[in-house]
Amino acid sequence: MAVTEIPVAAPAARSVEASQRRTGWFLTAPAITLMGLILLGPVLVALVLSFTDYALGNSGFNWVGLENYEKLFTRSTYEKMFVATFTYVVTVVPLSVGLGLGAALLITSVGRFRDLYKTIYFLPVMATLLAMAIAWEFMLHPTIGMVNRTIEMGCGTFLEAIWPFMAQGCEGGFPLWLGDQRYAIWVVCFVGIWQGFGFNMVLYLAGLTSVHRELYHAAEMDGARSAWERFRLVTWPALGPTTVFVVTISCIRAFQVFDTIEAFWPQGAGPNKSAYVMMFAIFEKGVQQNLIGIGSAITVVFLGFVMFLTLIQRWLVERKVHYG
Amino acid sequence: MADLHIDGVVKSFGETQVLKGISLDIRHGEFIALVGPSGCGKSTLLRIIAGLESQSAGDIVIAGRSVAGVRAADRNLSMVFQSYALYPHLSVADNIAVPLRMRTMGAVQRLPLVGRWMPGAAERNREIDAEVRKAASTLEIETLLDRKPGQLSGGQRQRVALGRALVRDPAAFLLDEPLSNLDAKLRVQTRGEIAELHRRLGATFIYVTHDQVEAMTMSSRIAVMMEGQILQCDAPDLVYEDPEDIRVAEFIGSPKINILPAELNGGSLRVLDRDIARLTRVADQPGIRLGLRPEALRLSGADSVLTGVVAHHENLGSEVFAQIEVPGLSERVVLRADPSARRRLGLGATVGLDFDIGDALLFDTSGKRLRPVIEAARAAHQVA
Ligand SMILES: Nc1ncnc2c1ncn2[C@@H]1O[C@H](COP(=O)(O)OP(=O)(O)OP(=O)(O)O)[C@@H](O)[C@H]1O
Ligand SMILES: [Mg+2]
Repeated sequence: MAVTEIPVAAPAARSVEASQRRTGWFLTAPAITLMGLILLGPVLVALVLSFTDYALGNSGFNWVGLENYEKLFTRSTYEKMFVATFTYVVTVVPLSVGLGLGAALLITSVGRFRDLYKTIYFLPVMATLLAMAIAWEFMLHPTIGMVNRTIEMGCGTFLEAIWPFMAQGCEGGFPLWLGDQRYAIWVVCFVGIWQGFGFNMVLYLAGLTSVHRELYHAAEMDGARSAWERFRLVTWPALGPTTVFVVTISCIRAFQVFDTIEAFWPQGAGPNKSAYVMMFAIFEKGVQQNLIGIGSAITVVFLGFVMFLTLIQRWLVERKVHYG
Repeated sequence: MADLHIDGVVKSFGETQVLKGISLDIRHGEFIALVGPSGCGKSTLLRIIAGLESQSAGDIVIAGRSVAGVRAADRNLSMVFQSYALYPHLSVADNIAVPLRMRTMGAVQRLPLVGRWMPGAAERNREIDAEVRKAASTLEIETLLDRKPGQLSGGQRQRVALGRALVRDPAAFLLDEPLSNLDAKLRVQTRGEIAELHRRLGATFIYVTHDQVEAMTMSSRIAVMMEGQILQCDAPDLVYEDPEDIRVAEFIGSPKINILPAELNGGSLRVLDRDIARLTRVADQPGIRLGLRPEALRLSGADSVLTGVVAHHENLGSEVFAQIEVPGLSERVVLRADPSARRRLGLGATVGLDFDIGDALLFDTSGKRLRPVIEAARAAHQVA
């Protein structure tokens, strides 16, 4: 609403304006109250608690100042937490967005079985991750798992000669996957991508339907011969708003990863805490160990990241990718 | 030389046949106006020529070479789309520059950021810039060059689309209603620009339009299309004066041609139960029709062929059109008269109308043109 200031406003006009303003506040009051109660309130409580040593069941608490945050940024456990979280985000977001886009483009370009492919790629999104994690656990079992047994078939073939991983594996056994701290976080990433890209694909499919078909014809007439040129000239720019949304959603979801890790390693978040992501840390500190103070501090940092991402998204949506 | 032959093109969408065997020979440098009612398949034909749609049967030959299997980008044609099809994320200047960049710069030179540092790219970019400015000034959109298509009015977008098609020098231009959204002044002006461009480049133009003035004034030939067929393709004056089909006669000309039911019996032509002429070399048939342009009718006194009451009149200053209700005819007859006759054409006045049989166009039952020899007109008239 644009309010233009008129230097000499008649009193009548001013009172109309005031009453409009009052009505506005009145009408938005329920929404504001609800938002305060269920959204801002808990966040504020978490913020306050993050400066204390409160534990559930205690009758009181002490103010500890920034002690919790200091721990967060100095202890090696939390360093592992940040490393694991960022490794996950930096791997899963680009790959699941890229694969989602690729799958959407492929599906729109095939004539038949379109719905079949859509369903297949979307299945992991609908499935319960906890159940799926158990299935993956079986598949990744070091000796009887499907994955290692499939790789084993490559032993004795030329693959052994050209691929060091193969040669090593055939001699000394293939990786333990879930039990090896070099691989653990990557397995989590893999499951995250496998599970998440179908969701991005669906968003991109929706985005692709809004691309004006005639633009491809115009591009063709203008001399865009290769699929890549048409993609760059028409598809990618048209998908700009979708991409901003998909990337933001993927980032937030990646920061929230928890259930895979809980299912694979309920106790320790991976060998040597190599998959100790933020959500798991919040759960472990705040719920399992009843250290509400430090748990709240991690939550606040987590909310900070999400807030930052959301602000970037808003900024991009408002200025760059909006074609009006 | 880029002659363009369209040879028996058929197009079906599922069950419905949209184009039913279109054949047209277009010589290099011709300006063909393609006219016809909405939904008759004009855009479809244009898209097939362009290679954006594949025909169900038939062939397109450009410059002596069949372009079956040649993709649109390689046919070297330029097109204005009915829906404009501007790239929404690019500014007006970039939109117009796209065909030049795509066709004259290498893939590396076009790369974002690094491309402009490639050898030759800077110079090429300057040339393209100059060409874009020239096209923009012709179309009066220089002030809009930095805007996005979303910030333009319909007419401005149309001019950008036209600019994008006209910056190139292709074998043929395909324009799908390129002026439909412009105001009257700009339309006349742009019409002039396109005609001028046609003369200068000597390129082939195929121009779809709903505007008869455009078709009549710009084209070397008009192709009248209806229900997926080309009924006639001739010079504008021929299409108007000598239509081959009653549908062409009805479509071309505004106000519409008057159609009177007539009868041919023993060589005598009867209209409203009056003998008006004797014809030979034509078989007797009952349901023939007589077409009379508004200017072929003239006011006359008593004992006219048609007598009726003025139901409506329009004074355009230089001429007057009157609609006359004639008993026995289902539609009003339109007359074009001199302003001096205005007084006789007051509402409700009874007037007589006459015509030379030589000015009448005869069509048979199926709508095809009849060209009989007129032996004798009614006594009061001279033999045409
Ligand atoms: N992709 C399609 N699928 C099915 N029918 C189509 C398709 N494209 C066009 N048609 C049909 O083909 C016919 C001709 O369409 P076309 O767009 O060529 O008409 P037009 O002569 O250009 O009309 P206008 O003057 O309104 O632009 C129409 O009846 C239309 O419904
Ligand atoms: Mg059309």
